[in-house]
Amino acid sequence: MIELKGVKKSFGKHEVLKDVSIKVEEGEVVVILGASGSGKTTFLRCINFLEKADEGTMQFGDKTIDFKTAKKNEILHVRRHSAFVFQNYGLFANKTALQNVMEGLTQVQKKSKAEAEKIAKETLDWVGLSDRYDYYPSQLSGGQQQRVGIARAIALKPEVILFDEPTSALDPELVGEVLDLIKKVAQMGITMLVVTHEMSFAQDVADKVIFMDAGVVVEEGKPDEIFVNPKEERTRQFLSRIISLEPMYNI
Amino acid sequence: MGSYFDFERFLFVFPKVISCIGVNLQIVAVSMFFGTILAVFVALARLKPIPVLREIISVYISFMRGTPLLVQMMIAYYGIPLLLSDVFLNVFGINLNRLDSVIFVEIAIVLNEGAFLGEIFRGAISAIPAVQKEAAYSIGMTGAQSFFRIVLPQSFKLIIPAYGIDLVGVFQNTSLVFTLGIVDLLGKAKTLGAATGHTLEGYISATIIYIALSLILKGFFLTVERKVYSYGV
Repeated sequence: MIELKGVKKSFGKHEVLKDVSIKVEEGEVVVILGASGSGKTTFLRCINFLEKADEGTMQFGDKTIDFKTAKKNEILHVRRHSAFVFQNYGLFANKTALQNVMEGLTQVQKKSKAEAEKIAKETLDWVGLSDRYDYYPSQLSGGQQQRVGIARAIALKPEVILFDEPTSALDPELVGEVLDLIKKVAQMGITMLVVTHEMSFAQDVADKVIFMDAGVVVEEGKPDEIFVNPKEERTRQFLSRIISLEPMYNI
Repeated sequence: MGSYFDFERFLFVFPKVISCIGVNLQIVAVSMFFGTILAVFVALARLKPIPVLREIISVYISFMRGTPLLVQMMIAYYGIPLLLSDVFLNVFGINLNRLDSVIFVEIAIVLNEGAFLGEIFRGAISAIPAVQKEAAYSIGMTGAQSFFRIVLPQSFKLIIPAYGIDLVGVFQNTSLVFTLGIVDLLGKAKTLGAATGHTLEGYISATIIYIALSLILKGFFLTVERKVYSYGV
């Protein structure tokens, strides 16, 4: 469904992505892991053209797009068939929860106001915010904001949702509610590409785990393979460091 | 000799001074209207890096911010007719030397405001976090949709307080026009002072009017601000 080949991106002299290629099948949940600065967020942003990749191609559905020469309508096509969930929520500050979800439905998909409102309300109900329609983002907790962010994404019925560290900005006690929701989205069968540091989430939900380091894909495979039996030394180091940080509840 | 300040003289002078307020208000209204329009273009030109235009605008802004408004008014008043009177006479059939001097004052303030307000607008627009625009793009909005529906409405909240301060400033700056022989509030106070030999009453009248109007304008913008701030940060 989505295949990226040879994606390269530099910020000035700093080469963030050095030839990254991945493939995501329809309905697959792919989790990208890696240390800070490994280029995983930049990579995700390149897919949605929030960052302009220097080189590489993307097969998106039946369209092939060259990042170097991507045209406006190609970029819009990708953006209109995908959705992005931001680390710091990215809700429109001047709009209520309901309006945030409706915005894309009315302005981009040109649905009528009544229809958009119906969809938006259903989606907000689904993410458990039926009592927060008219709240502005500043009046919502981090977890609630991120749930609105996810509602805004799924209301558009995208072919793929890109999650950029959706729980990194949350209080530890709010992480759970958002992760549960993302799991619920995964069970709907939407194709998902998730950048996260939540190892147990990756283990539970992912169909495929990609481990990135220093701008390249070091290893990819099924979660069991990666977590239990990583082939690469770099992956092993990373996992041992992360997993030792997670709390242990053994008696 | 008598006293410097006499209440009866004040009561006599005050209505005469306030009757000239229309001149000031007209200058404020005209220059804010066109100044705001100009400022929108200035801000947009500053935000979109268009090679040559960018340099021109930056010189224009540093000139407008680096010279006193009074100097700009003088240059507009004496310079524009000198430079353009032939062109205007031949092409449009307008004799610039016959034009009301208020128009030159307004041109000066419009150009001045274009620079000052332009910088206010640019600052407010670029202060909106990048993620707002990115979020708009991510749901498939176009650049124009993202700007007009998401970024601009949010920047209003930053623009309005500064705009209010600026407007009050322009109102007070209109007091400079009497130097070009225009009879506004202050001009009237000065003329009355010269005619009667009692200056203080006229100036106090002008002071009261300036303060009162500034407070009214301030109050108006505070109300608007509160309405716009309703959605919090």
